[in-house]
Amino acid sequence: MSPPDSSVTNSGSASSSSSSCAGKPPDHIDNLLAGAGYRVRSSDLRQVAQRLERLETVMVNAPSDLSSHLANDAVHYNPSDLASWVDSLLSELNPPPPAHADLPDFPDLSYADRTVDNTSAWVGEERRHVAAAQQGGIFPPPLTTTTVVMDEDSGIRLVHMLMTCAELVQRGEFSLAGALIDEMQLLLARVNSGCGIGKVAGYFVDALSRRLFTPQTAGLISSAHENEILYHHFYEACPYLKFAHFTANQAILEAFDGHECVHVIDFNLMHGLQWPALIQALALRPGGPPLLRLTGIGPPSPDGRDSLREVGVRLAELARSVNVRFAFGGVAASRLEDVKPWMLQVGPKEAVAVNSIMQLHRLLGSDPTRGSPINTVLGWIRNLNPKIVTVVEQEANHNQPEFLDRFTEALHYYSTMFDSLETYLSHPNKAFAEMYIQREICNVLCCDGLARVERHEPLAKWRVRLGGAGFRPLHLGSNAFKQASMLLTLFSAEGYCVEENEGCLTLGWHSRPLIAASAWQAVPEPSPPLNLISHRNQNNL
Amino acid sequence: MVQLVELKKGNKRSKFCINDNMDILIEILKRLDGRSIATAACVCRLWLSIARSDRLWESLCFRHVSPPPPPGIRPVVEALGGYRRLYTACLRPVLSRLSRRKRLRSGGSGGGDAEVVRRVWRRHEVELSISLFCVDYYERLGGGGVGGRVGDGSASSLMFLCKHVNV
Repeated sequence: MSPPDSSVTNSGSASSSSSSCAGKPPDHIDNLLAGAGYRVRSSDLRQVAQRLERLETVMVNAPSDLSSHLANDAVHYNPSDLASWVDSLLSELNPPPPAHADLPDFPDLSYADRTVDNTSAWVGEERRHVAAAQQGGIFPPPLTTTTVVMDEDSGIRLVHMLMTCAELVQRGEFSLAGALIDEMQLLLARVNSGCGIGKVAGYFVDALSRRLFTPQTAGLISSAHENEILYHHFYEACPYLKFAHFTANQAILEAFDGHECVHVIDFNLMHGLQWPALIQALALRPGGPPLLRLTGIGPPSPDGRDSLREVGVRLAELARSVNVRFAFGGVAASRLEDVKPWMLQVGPKEAVAVNSIMQLHRLLGSDPTRGSPINTVLGWIRNLNPKIVTVVEQEANHNQPEFLDRFTEALHYYSTMFDSLETYLSHPNKAFAEMYIQREICNVLCCDGLARVERHEPLAKWRVRLGGAGFRPLHLGSNAFKQASMLLTLFSAEGYCVEENEGCLTLGWHSRPLIAASAWQAVPEPSPPLNLISHRNQNNL
Repeated sequence: MVQLVELKKGNKRSKFCINDNMDILIEILKRLDGRSIATAACVCRLWLSIARSDRLWESLCFRHVSPPPPPGIRPVVEALGGYRRLYTACLRPVLSRLSRRKRLRSGGSGGGDAEVVRRVWRRHEVELSISLFCVDYYERLGGGGVGGRVGDGSASSLMFLCKHVNV
């Protein structure tokens, strides 16, 4: 017979390629397996698959004499009745062979944890309950062996199940996907979901179940205030945002060299954590500080507080104490595409810097009536004629049209990111930082259309897009690189790496880039005003 | 510390009291490292007031900076909280962590405050520390905007400097 593994997948795909179980009477025999010589009822398919998995596990972990016994000496009754055949094999394997008693005891903590986890998991599964009872009710060493080995296997199995479930969701097989989600949640209870692949898998299973069972509230909508808090904790727990801020500031500082009136436009002010360092650097620059104007864009605050203005007041106080002439303006807009250039009040003689930290990707969602707002926004940015546009974006490809592709990309990206957070074991902000990441995951996986704002695209695509919109790249200098490297050595985890990529800097974890910072300048318009008018008309269409 | 012991002996013999010659005392204390200054601050109230003065910590911060810091730096640092706070909250952890990383990579061992003082600090390192110090000041200004930490004196964005290095 074919090995258990492939029959598990066969039974899975067999049932999905034949019409779904709901429409057939419960004792209908599955067509495709019947063609292969096995009689299995469609309603039993899932249980058969489960038992085959268990059989595989036990066979893998069994000593060699047992498997040879199975292969040669065991008597199989009616192998075409797949369900009962598997049952008979499992019952043969349940009394453990004497060889297992020689295995050493594992005295460490993981053994103790396993027992606690396993009691609850086992109550639900009759097979294991039977096995435990046959051992006289104590947890013997052979079961420890199998659980320890199964832990690593379980991680891999979870990943396979996640991919299968995503594929089912893409194909529209929601009932099967739902069943698989239940399986995964059972498996999660056995795996250590406090760290590693278990934790990431937990978030992804959660996102998938949100997508399937609660599509209306799947997107984890939260207030602007909550977003700010989570953002702040994410800022403190890991270096990605700090890297973004410091690199952008260095580029802006170099671009403002020699100018006396400068204006920075921040696409997402939050608490303004990026700007104290720039204000201080301008204060210390040779030749004295310029007049600095800062325009911060942010969501309107619902409860009457003007949070933008509060941030502006604090920044102004800091600027005053270091003797930098400072003026602040706030623009409240719930979406970036609602901002119009006249709101920014850019003066004619100012050197303008536009700063976008993880905001441009939100504009990539397209409305059938209006098209993508990204082109409009890039157009008016260009018309401001900025000295520099600093763009920091996640280095991931989460804007693909096919769900399965997005899912696969997101699984790799976010497991790397969670891996990098692992070192902050006892950091108080770690849970909030993880919630921040969880929101991104849910948005990428559960939302569609205009609700999906986390449309990350890799640096290569942004290069094409910005190049096509009339920008040319500015190389981030070696100062920025040195500063970024120094910043990273301050973080206790040793896996971060800064790389230079054709003038852009990327920060990654163990050679997987996770965030990319780049700087751009508007290509000067060579054409006479006549062309400019037609260009503007095209933008208005 | 050897210098101080000798002075005490001189105290008994020739009625010379270091506390009467503050400028010499300051010159001596200026050359100590951070930990020793903190120890000296425990001697008496006069020494405590000298040890708390920012001039002492300024010379400690920039003792071995090459090239020397820009001239306008003093008012900025004083506005952001002073040299003593700059040293204890930012410079010392930053530089000790950077030098520990270097030592790990080159296979050395040992450490402590004295080593931090003796190495030449590059300007980039000092600039980064001052930037982090500025973010720290800003957070102390308004609690970072997060409601739950209004009374918290320790700046949270510098907490990553206080954690143990995963050696």
